[in-house]
Amino acid sequence: MVGIVVVSHSAELAAGLADLAGQMAGPDVRIEHAGGTGNGALGTDEGRVRDAIRRADGGDGVVILGDLGSAILTIRHVLDSRANNHATLIDAPIVEGTVAAAVMASAGSTLEDVVRAAEEARSARKL
Amino acid sequence: MLASSETVVALPADVALHARPAAQFVRTAVGFSADIAIAVNGRQADAKSLLAVLALGAEGGTELRLTASGEDAPRALDALRDCIAAFS
Repeated sequence: MVGIVVVSHSAELAAGLADLAGQMAGPDVRIEHAGGTGNGALGTDEGRVRDAIRRADGGDGVVILGDLGSAILTIRHVLDSRANNHATLIDAPIVEGTVAAAVMASAGSTLEDVVRAAEEARSARKL
Repeated sequence: MLASSETVVALPADVALHARPAAQFVRTAVGFSADIAIAVNGRQADAKSLLAVLALGAEGGTELRLTASGEDAPRALDALRDCIAAFS
């Protein structure tokens, strides 16, 4: 099953979104979060992101969603330094993308299908 | 020629197609190869897209028109009907 990683400047935002996505996707999907710097400050940390990817990786791939600016840079640095990369950074709004990816992953979908569902969030209307 | 099927099913009166019910519905739809559409009050969405299904904003009691085309279309609609019936 494809795993999900949520990266935010805020630990609370990342944890809350992982919780929301988990409530919708059910208990089988690994949804990991890496928010904040680890000492309670707002920001992102490469080590925390790397650990979250490792925890989310069940062998079928990982999709990663980040919130803003430097969170995306942090994720890209981590991915550039990984040798075996079946982890994919998604370019999409973080809430909608994470929830769509988690539900698609929960159906046992391929990495390709989970990526596509998450990227749909770019153009999805709310109304 | 692909098999095509259609059914109309009402949501339970007290269950809107939001959050968890929508996720269950989409998860069920994704399990079939058929193309499946859901229409509510004249608006149509891909039944395999959570965000599209959520955007329909279907409230409890609403009639859902489900259409499917593909080899497993009849089975897909049976499964979605069962999924909706199990909402509570």
